[in-house]
Amino acid sequence: MTHQSPLERLLRGLALVLVVCFFIFPILWIVLMSFQTNETILRSPPSVVFRPTVSNYAAIISGHLDSNVASMGIEFMRNLMNSVILSAGSVALSLVLGVPAAYAFARHKFRGSEDIAFTLLSFRFAPPLLVLLPLTLYFQQIGLADTYLGLIWVYQLICLPLILWIVRGYFEDISPDIEHAYRIAGHSWFSTFCRISLPLAGPGIAAAALLAFIFAWNNFVFALVLASADKQPVTVGALAFVTASGIQYGQIAAAVVLSILPVLALALYAQRYLVEGLSLGAVKG
Amino acid sequence: MADMTAARTPSRRFRVPPALFPYLLSMPALLVCIGILVPFFTAVFYSLQRYRLSQPWNRAMNWGENYLDFLTDPSFWNTLEVSLLYAALTVGIELALGLGIALLLQKRTRVNNFVSIMLLMPLMTAPALAALMFKLMTNPNFGILSYFAQAIGFGDMRWGADPSTALLTVVLVDVWVYTPFIMILLLAGLRSLPTQPFEAAALDNVPRLQQFWRITLPMLTPYLLTAALFRLLDSIQQFDIIYAMTQGGPGDTLMVFQVEAYLTFFQSTNVGRSAALLIILWAITFFLSNVFIKNWLRLRERARGEA
Amino acid sequence: MKAIRIENLTKTYKGQAVLDGVSLEVPEGGTLALFGASGAGKTVLLRCIAGAVEPDAGRILLGGEDVTGLPPEARGIGMAFQNFALFPHMSAEANIASPLEARRSSRAQILDGVGRVARLLKIDHVLGHHPKALSNGQKQRTALARALVAEPDVLLLDDPLRNVDAKLRFEMRLELPRLLADRGATVIYVTQDYKEAMAIGQSIAVLDEGRIAQIGTPEDIYLRPASIGIARLFGEPVINLLDVIPERDERGVHVRLSDQKLYLAPGYEAAVGRAAVIGLRPEALHFAEHGIPVEIEAETPFNEKTVTLTQTKRGRELFVSRPAGTPAPSEGSARISAAAENAILFDRLTGQRIVPVLHAREAAA
Repeated sequence: MTHQSPLERLLRGLALVLVVCFFIFPILWIVLMSFQTNETILRSPPSVVFRPTVSNYAAIISGHLDSNVASMGIEFMRNLMNSVILSAGSVALSLVLGVPAAYAFARHKFRGSEDIAFTLLSFRFAPPLLVLLPLTLYFQQIGLADTYLGLIWVYQLICLPLILWIVRGYFEDISPDIEHAYRIAGHSWFSTFCRISLPLAGPGIAAAALLAFIFAWNNFVFALVLASADKQPVTVGALAFVTASGIQYGQIAAAVVLSILPVLALALYAQRYLVEGLSLGAVKG
Repeated sequence: MADMTAARTPSRRFRVPPALFPYLLSMPALLVCIGILVPFFTAVFYSLQRYRLSQPWNRAMNWGENYLDFLTDPSFWNTLEVSLLYAALTVGIELALGLGIALLLQKRTRVNNFVSIMLLMPLMTAPALAALMFKLMTNPNFGILSYFAQAIGFGDMRWGADPSTALLTVVLVDVWVYTPFIMILLLAGLRSLPTQPFEAAALDNVPRLQQFWRITLPMLTPYLLTAALFRLLDSIQQFDIIYAMTQGGPGDTLMVFQVEAYLTFFQSTNVGRSAALLIILWAITFFLSNVFIKNWLRLRERARGEA
Repeated sequence: MKAIRIENLTKTYKGQAVLDGVSLEVPEGGTLALFGASGAGKTVLLRCIAGAVEPDAGRILLGGEDVTGLPPEARGIGMAFQNFALFPHMSAEANIASPLEARRSSRAQILDGVGRVARLLKIDHVLGHHPKALSNGQKQRTALARALVAEPDVLLLDDPLRNVDAKLRFEMRLELPRLLADRGATVIYVTQDYKEAMAIGQSIAVLDEGRIAQIGTPEDIYLRPASIGIARLFGEPVINLLDVIPERDERGVHVRLSDQKLYLAPGYEAAVGRAAVIGLRPEALHFAEHGIPVEIEAETPFNEKTVTLTQTKRGRELFVSRPAGTPAPSEGSARISAAAENAILFDRLTGQRIVPVLHAREAAA
């Protein structure tokens, strides 16, 4: 690919521009829309020239909107808070459950270890509703319905396999001799795990946690089935918001931007690990 | 230093037998695992019952009847057809597009790296929110896509609201979200290929197109297969995009498995039929995931080996 | 100080016996060189002693106390790994200090202890560096310092010179025995290099396919190897091995080499008429007026020696070595004679050494 004719360079450049346009344009358009009033949004033909306004964000963040028609409350900040609680809680639980298990799977080839690891992995690929629908009935019986705890538990379906399989790979990359050396030096297993294994797998654990957070944040179906309005995360909340606010398009756009922004920021921060995480370690980034 | 010479007396506290230790470590994860297996078996049980939430008195085992009913149920065959069509369309388009973009970005230049990072953004957007974004973009009053369609002569394009274009619309969203996934997997694959065959081919003046078919593609096959299977597994179960966009409509145009099962459960309250639908979907994904996991393991071994 | 005693240690991986009933003993303060080819089970044996690997059967006693089944941290052992196994996220100082920290020494004690061992091993100037910033030699010394710092009673060194360059290996081979003697610890030293084994070990244990093939002093192993296999492992160039059948005449037991009689040391009466192999170290052969007629094939300098490859009339090749610089024929025909008392006789079928039986009368003579 060292010799490129000018035509080829041109075509490549053109293709690249098209690709970027297709994939970035929708996000850009929504961001632009979120800074407009309904008036400019509905203008035809659409134009990028407008006087930006932050009123949409102000309305969402303050929680109420006074339009010329009526005054209404907006619960969107609560959805945002729910997303934070659910995602952070799920990742925290996943780490507590998954990191020791990942270590066990990486270091000890015990009876049934591969079966258990694969069962956990298969959760990633099973239809979520298959588990969710019976759970709605169970949750009502055991009082977990519409609780953060119940939701966080179900979120383990996506977070746990991710943490388990990525972190396991990182533990496998640590030479067992390094752990042996620390124990022979006189330290207990637990101290070795905390002072050697965890720090050495640290970047992998952080990356897996970040990815698990993103996946939890982006999840839609769990909360749709199991949560009522006051526990819903942004993915479900935004949809409800559309129905409720009807024609406040600028606000819908602002809500969407607020919903995807945290995750995009995290993703950019962790992009080095994304490939590995997305493929559960099958492809190194 | 004399005090250090004495080895610390081994603590005689209760010690976990080494054989039990790994089980102890994985026990918490295991319990969650069991907690999720229980509803799975419950679902199998439901699928063998006549069970409507609205008629609890009428609940009874009917064994395979839910499944037998599917044979003569046109809406089931519609579901199967739409699901497979959706999966085939999305994976096919994404594979072709993803491969194309990966080839475009193969060289490690600053621009290419920047573009590949930018392309992560759709992938990181929640699919439900992506559907919402496209819903806004296809709004007949102000949607930019509607405007473009009008500009090139499709003034009456109604996107998701029209049975003839609804599938196209949700496939478009799926392609927008997930093509970058295939792209980054293939890009990682492409960049990990050994360079010698290409250098040798360049020395022999093998035409580039031929290089692609004879060298690149065969060596990339494991990555293509993994990416395709991974996406196929997700795509055949797609719920978020379709539900957020049209809730399966208009009519039953987009009644894929999970949407159909969801509505059967919550609207028709027919638990038995809903569970049976999901079990059939599960059987399909189980078969696919077994093929996938085999592939994935091989690729994972290789990736770990290179690390 | 603690003696090491291994009883009948067995370890099987996937149906393959890696250790097969290994027993050995190292007295208090002694140094045993554990020698064997790779895959012989040396490292597994060391790990069993350290507690990193659980044996399937057998006992490990340190200073008379049975430590089998105790976790590694309860055994009070110092160990240096072949791959160094330094903690990559800690400085050299923290690496070396880790055994002292485990013993809950005070900050001052730790600083003092680390400083002393670092000066001894000449790495005090790189204590602040992380392993990544250390040269291989410095890594090796750091690993050694970490093993030594807490003055353990038992020291296990797993081929610590394997991954360092030749010069450092040479220096350390001279330095280590003194260092170990100063410490007074009981040491097991694993190596694949026979010279290292002979330089460092007060005794040598030869491990072969999970079994102890021979234990003895370096002299024992070199002069009285238990089998052909062991004889071939020690010595460079390799020992000359010739098929012979011992005979007897009025002067005593002898073997015929190219029609020349080579009389053996007393005690080999029982070997007469048996299919045997005679082992002659290259340095036990020398050029002489009389002796076995040979053709000189090639001559090559070998460290401080000169090695000549010769061929007998029957086409058997013999290595002859002599101190470099000593005069000798370098081409054409020559004769060589052998120091018969250094000849080693093996049974051709079993490969085991035929041990000369000295009767009381002869022994007294």
